[in-house]
Parts: sequence; structure tokens; C-alpha cells
Amino acid sequence: MTIERAVADTATAGAMARRTGWRAAVPALGVALIWAFLAVFLLYPLARVFYDAFSDEAGRLTLDNVVAFVGDAFYRRSLWNSLVLGLGTVVTTSALGVAIALLLVRYEFPGRDVFGYLTLIPMISPPLVGVLGFTFIMGKAGTVNILLEDWLGLARPINFVYGLHGVLLGETLHLFPMITLNVIDALGRIDPSLEEAAESVGARTWRRLAAITLPLTTPGYVAGALLVFIWTFSDFATPLILGVHDLLAAQAYLNIVQFVDRRLFRMGLVISALMVVLAVVFLVAARRYVAIKDYSSLSYSRVARRRLRPLAAAGAITFLSAVMLAAFVPYLGVALASVGRGWSMTPFPVHYTGLFFERVIVETPKYVVNSFLYSGLAVVLCLVIGVPLAWIIARTRLPGRDMLDGLNTLILAVPGTAIGIAYIRAFHVELPWLGVPLTSLWIILPIVLAVRRLPYTVRGSYASLLLVPRSLEEAAASVGATGARSFRDVTLPLVWRGVLVGSLFSFMTSLQEASAVLFLSLGGWETIPVGIFAFYIAGSANEAAALGVILIAVTAVSVVVINRVAGARVGGMFG
Amino acid sequence: MNITLRDVTKRFTTTTAVDGVSLDIADGELFTLLGPSGCGKTTLLRMIAGFAAVDDGAIFFGTRRVDGMPPYARNIGMVFQNYALWPHMTVRGNVTYGLRLRKLPAAEIARRLAAGLAKVNLTGLEDRYPGQLSGGQQQRVALARALVLNPDILLLDEPLSNLDAKIRVQVRGEIRALQHELGITTVYVTHDQEEALSLSDRVAVMRDGRVQQVAAPKTVYERPVNRFVADFVGTNNFIPGVVKERTEAHALVDTPLGLIRARPGGVAAGGACVVAVRPENVTLHGAADNVVDGRVRLAAYLGNTLRYDLETAAGVVLKVDVGDPWQHEVLPVGRAVTAAFAASTAIVLRDD
Repeated sequence: MTIERAVADTATAGAMARRTGWRAAVPALGVALIWAFLAVFLLYPLARVFYDAFSDEAGRLTLDNVVAFVGDAFYRRSLWNSLVLGLGTVVTTSALGVAIALLLVRYEFPGRDVFGYLTLIPMISPPLVGVLGFTFIMGKAGTVNILLEDWLGLARPINFVYGLHGVLLGETLHLFPMITLNVIDALGRIDPSLEEAAESVGARTWRRLAAITLPLTTPGYVAGALLVFIWTFSDFATPLILGVHDLLAAQAYLNIVQFVDRRLFRMGLVISALMVVLAVVFLVAARRYVAIKDYSSLSYSRVARRRLRPLAAAGAITFLSAVMLAAFVPYLGVALASVGRGWSMTPFPVHYTGLFFERVIVETPKYVVNSFLYSGLAVVLCLVIGVPLAWIIARTRLPGRDMLDGLNTLILAVPGTAIGIAYIRAFHVELPWLGVPLTSLWIILPIVLAVRRLPYTVRGSYASLLLVPRSLEEAAASVGATGARSFRDVTLPLVWRGVLVGSLFSFMTSLQEASAVLFLSLGGWETIPVGIFAFYIAGSANEAAALGVILIAVTAVSVVVINRVAGARVGGMFG
Repeated sequence: MNITLRDVTKRFTTTTAVDGVSLDIADGELFTLLGPSGCGKTTLLRMIAGFAAVDDGAIFFGTRRVDGMPPYARNIGMVFQNYALWPHMTVRGNVTYGLRLRKLPAAEIARRLAAGLAKVNLTGLEDRYPGQLSGGQQQRVALARALVLNPDILLLDEPLSNLDAKIRVQVRGEIRALQHELGITTVYVTHDQEEALSLSDRVAVMRDGRVQQVAAPKTVYERPVNRFVADFVGTNNFIPGVVKERTEAHALVDTPLGLIRARPGGVAAGGACVVAVRPENVTLHGAADNVVDGRVRLAAYLGNTLRYDLETAAGVVLKVDVGDPWQHEVLPVGRAVTAAFAASTAIVLRDD
């Protein structure tokens, strides 16, 4: 080596050292910002709710609130009902979801592909819209009862939907795809040789299913079941529309929004703290269970589909058609109600009109505009926070990395109701300089949406980062690419698909978000779901239905795009 | 460019992956790090490349100290075990990425691409994606990508482990020829002793983060410094014993098979040791310095050799290779035979 070269090298190394001086600070700052965001907008509000639950009006710590809650028979019954409803929904969705997944993955019959797509349909409609549609068709003055009265001379309408059984029906038909998707995903990961081995020692059909196949799908199944439970447990809009008040989430909502009785308000806080605790307990239990039963092995081959005999195929088609038809009822109801006039005491509307759409789009465009603005901003936040967060979890050994992972999962479990209540309490203090609390600025809605939907972006990004071997980045470094350059040229082109899918999921579910937003929305900030709820509660069911149709259309487009980009494998997103 | 390692150490939370390794690798040498998985060879290579930080010690390329520099400042070319070809770039994109980063003129990039692909016999495949290439072709693209930058040092991390046996031997020859032609200093990591022996100018045998022996392949095979090296490289018979007499030229070892004459190793008289003798040096003719009686327990016909496991009266099993099985009638199991080996082929080693 020449002297010149050595001098030049030393100079380069010196320049590099200087550059790394301030460059090294950038990642540290980024990590600090992520932590700050989670601390301020997730941990602090939750902590605030717990503090409120255990303190009195003067701020002194006390157990009085909890004692009052436990001592109240009505609340005890609400808790019991909520648990029963949650578990009941898990049972019904599991029966439907697992059966459908097995049929779709393991058997061949006419129309299998079509049913595969149709399975996704119930998820397209937000639960709020789904339950609306139900009341139009299955309600006391709905199509079915009218037809029964006209044809069979039914004296009094049958109560299909009002009551706990209606809530159970509505939640089941909306949520069973979560089980189906997760089980399909898990079935795809089973190495065929495991089942062949079972068959070789004599375990046939049902025996093999019970002893080998289903146990191997437990991790995926448990993840889906947990989400079904938490979703049902924390949904207040569906029960309230169906006239059910004695559930925890419904009580939390009613107690918080009445703003008159301080004692009731405090009870709402206790309930939301309790909901967080229960959700976390179930989450931890499920995680423990899954951790000790992680059987996933990447298999490159798949179990061959069995062709069903004609009779069995007919049975499968009948079963799937019945489920899909039932899941399709809400769409029919909402669609008819959005354009129908004079729909009372007749099976179908008498006149058709575009008036309701005109009212919610042209006269008051705020619902659509707000929804897109807030959800769009929320996704930007999700990307800014979520992609680096996924990168930290996937690629570093930073202290606190496991905790970030845990917090991300915690968000999935914490009910939106609780988050909404927590934000009301936590951000009702005046901000310095601005002189107003965060709760009176609309920016709080994108923030709460971003926090609620962060996990989808993180998971989508994380999963695709895992698929890029680190040596690809190292190879870029070995030929001269700096960290940022190799991220741009190598990592990003390989992960954008997963990031996009995750973000679209965040966007789609942000549009649908009702629970947290209902608590925080003020006049002028209404999103589509808030509008639906407000119109329906105020008795304008047709306007609610028109907004519902718009929401379904937007969501359907998102689902199509996601499917195009991701290629149908969206099951992992919920795990 | 020569490479100098001084007391290089890498610690992970519970283990020391590389423990005070010092090596001098000469300019233009093909130097192999050989050892079982977990011995620290890949970690050492990654420290030379700059992907792993050096906890203690120093690494020099020529007179330039490189530890602490990022990989892209070291002017290395690296070939990864899984090739690490970027799946979203064509062969052209993969090979020229480093050149484009250096903002070379287009004509120069095209010239170097053509020359690089010609070197590895891939001319004409510029527009293929990695997924459209065979394993051997992918391997060559990885090699071309590393070489077009004219690196000072070429680093190869088990580059042949994902190839079929036949292709492996072929590519191995190509790598050796190319390295000779370019005269580039190369560090090669492998766990395959045959690969190491056939390719290398010198081999460093590693175990538990430490270098056991650094020598030319012939020396490592014929003059291993301890039992580990003798066992890891090739096949050996180990007969435990105690050194009874030791002179400059000879050692006499007391073993369960009786007194054995051998070359003295680093064990003094009275010390416990093992005598190592390779199966190909044991004959069934029964006339040499050391003679052992036994019975055939197993005969394995391998085509180019025939291997017997002989069981001696003392219970020691001795492996014996017959090098020319065409001229040899396979002996039945249980047949009594007499094996023999020369003192010059038996070596006294520390038992570690």
C-alpha cells in the first residue's frame, strides 16, 4: 500500500467517524419518539383509567368504586351476561368457522372457489351496519315477519333479533370469518407427512381429525377465538341497537355519555378498567397457551384435497349456501333501506329514491370527508410509527424490544370502548400554549385511530421483514451501500407489499371504527360510523342505511385491493 | 493485500465465540477456516467483513486497521452461504449495484459487467432474475457480484454448501482457478474437510473459538497437532496409551494392543496419550513395525476402497482400508486376520 493511499484511507475513516457521530443519534431519536408516542397515547391514558377507578372525586385512593360495582346486582348480571355472550359467540363462530375452513381447505366440490371468496363478505360490513340490516329484514316489522303474517296468518311477530340471542346471532355471522381465516392459515402450515404418519398407524378420518389435525391448528385457532371474544365483549353499538342494555360495554357507554351523574360516570370508568384487565388476562392466557403449543413448521407441500361424493358435496354446498345467505341478509336490508321509502307493514319498500344518499353525501358531506381525512392521517401515523417499530422488533436487540412487541399485541386486546373512555379522561386537561384540551381538537381522532390500528401495520411490515434474510442487506453493505441506501434499494422493494397490505388493513378498519370514536367525536367531526349510530338512534334509519352502503362499498374496494396485493393470505394479520 | 488478526475476540452473552485469535494471512493466499458448526469460524469471517463488531483485538488489511470500519469502507467482496442475491434485481442489477453506487460511468459499468460475467461463464444471462437460475448459476452470480468491485479481499462463507455433490466439485475447481488467476487474498469458511484440503494454500482448524492448528493441507492431514485435528480432518484410529519411552525419532507406547512404535508427538515419557493411525496406513499383510491380531466385524465396500472394522482381543476396534478392492476378495465376518502399520504412520498425540 502506498503512503498516499494510507493517508486517503485515514481521511475517509475520519470523515466516517464524524458522520457516524450525528448519524448515530438519528436512530436513537427515532426509538425515543416511538416510545414517547406509545407512552403518551397508550400507557398514560390506560394508567389514568385505573387511577380513576381507584380514586374518589377529590383524587384520594379508595376501593369504594370497586366495592360499589361488586355490590350492585345489575352490574354483576351485566358482567355475567358479557362473559356468557363472549364465550357463546366463540362457541358458535368456532363451530361455523372450523367447519367452513376444513371444507374449503381439505375437500373438493363444485363452487369451492366461489365460497372461498364469499367467506370474506361478512367482514366487509362493519358490525354496526350488519346489525342495522338485520333489523330491517328480521325485525318485528321486518320482511320475514311481514311475509309470515301475510302467508301463514301469524298473529304476533316472532322476535328474531331483539335480545341477547339477537346479539349472539349478529356477532356470530359477522365474526365467524376470523376463525375461518386463521384456521385456513394454520391448516396450510401442517406438514402432510404428519397426517400421513397418523394414517399409517391406523388413525382414519375422524380419529385423525380429532387427534392430529385440529390440535395442530390450535395456535391459529386460539388467536382467532381471542379476537372474537374481545370483539364481542367490548362491542356496545350492536347490543344497544338491539335493545340490550345489561352488558358491560353497553353500561360503560351509557354511564359515560350521560354526563349528569358523577357517580354513574365513575362506574363507567370502573367498568372500562375492568374490561382492560379482563382483556389482558385473556390475552396473556391465550399467549401462554399458544407459546407452549407452537407447532408451526413451514411445509412446502400441501395435503391433497379429497373429492366429496355427490351426496356429501350437496350437503356441503347446502350448508355453505345457508351460512352465506344468512350472512348476506344484512346487506340486502341495508341496501333496500338506503333507497326505499314507505317500507312499513310491507315486505319490501313501496317506492325507491336517491334522497337519502343525497342527504348524507351532498347536503352533509362531512361524514365521508371526515372518515377519509381521519383514517388517512391515521394510516400516515401508523406508517411513521409502525414501520420503524416493526423493524426494531424484527432486526434489533434493543433493550425494551420485547416490551414493544408486547405493547403492540396489547393494543389488539384493549377494547376500543376502554380506549375511548381513557382518552376522555386523560386528555381533558388544557394543553400549554394552546389553552385548550386535546379533546377539543379534531386531531385526537386520527391519533386514537392510529393507536387502535397500529398493530395491523406493524404485523404486515414485520411479517415481510422476516422474509428478507439479513444477508441480503449485508450483501448490499459489502458492495458499498450505507444503511439508508441498502434500506431503500434492497429492503424496501422487498417489503413494501407487506407494508401496504398492513396499512390498507389499518385504513379499512379505521373507517369502520365506531367504539373509541363515538366517545371522542364532537359536533362537526362525525365519521361514517358515528353518523350511522346517530341517525339510527335518532330514528332516521334510512339515512343510516345510506351511510352504511357507502361504508360497505369503500371497505369492499379495500378488500379487493388487499387481495390483489397480498394474494389471499390475510389470515396471519389477526394472529 | 495481507490480513493480520491480533488477539481477535468476540463475546456473546453466555459464550465466547472467538477467543483471542491471531493469524497472518499472506497476500494472494487462499486461507481456509475449517471447523465444526459453532466453532466460531463464521463469526470470525463476519468480523473480517465488518458485520460483527470486534470486542477485543485488532484486524489489519495491509497496514490499515479496519476493525471499527463499516463493511462498505473495507473494500471487500463477500459471497454468502445462501448467496443473498437480491430477488427483485436481474443478474445485471445484482452485479452492477456496487458499481452504480460508486457512480462509475455507464461504459465502465458495462465493461466490468461483461468482464465479470465472462470470468464466471455466465455471459448472456444478464436479464434473468435469480429465481430463474440454477443453484450453481446463482452461486456464480454471487461470485461475480463480489469480484466486479476489484476488492482487496474476497470472503467466502460456505459458498458451496447449498449445491449438489457433483456441481460442488466442479464449482470448487472453478473458484480455485479464478482465485489463482486473480491472485486475490481469499478467506474461505467451510466445515467440509475435503473442500478445505483440496482448495487451500493453508488451513486453520478451529474449535470452540480457538485456532488449533494453522498449516498447509498436507501438514494438517499428516501431522495433526492434537486429537481434535486428527479426528476432524479425515478418519483416524485412536489407541489410548501411556508413553513408555521417547527419543527424538521414536516413541514406545504402552497400549491395550501391546507396545506400539510411533512417531513422538508433544507428550513426554510417562504421559497419557493416544496413538493415531489412519485406516489407509494399516495393511492386512502382517509385516511392519506394529502387528495387531483381530477378527473382521464389519466389511463396507465403497467402490474405490473397502473398509474393515477389526475387533481385537482387547476390545479395541481398528478401521482398516484396502485401497485396491478390485484385487481383493472380501473377507467374511469373523475371519481372523493380522493387521500391521509402520511406526512412521502412527503418531503420538495429546488426548484433547
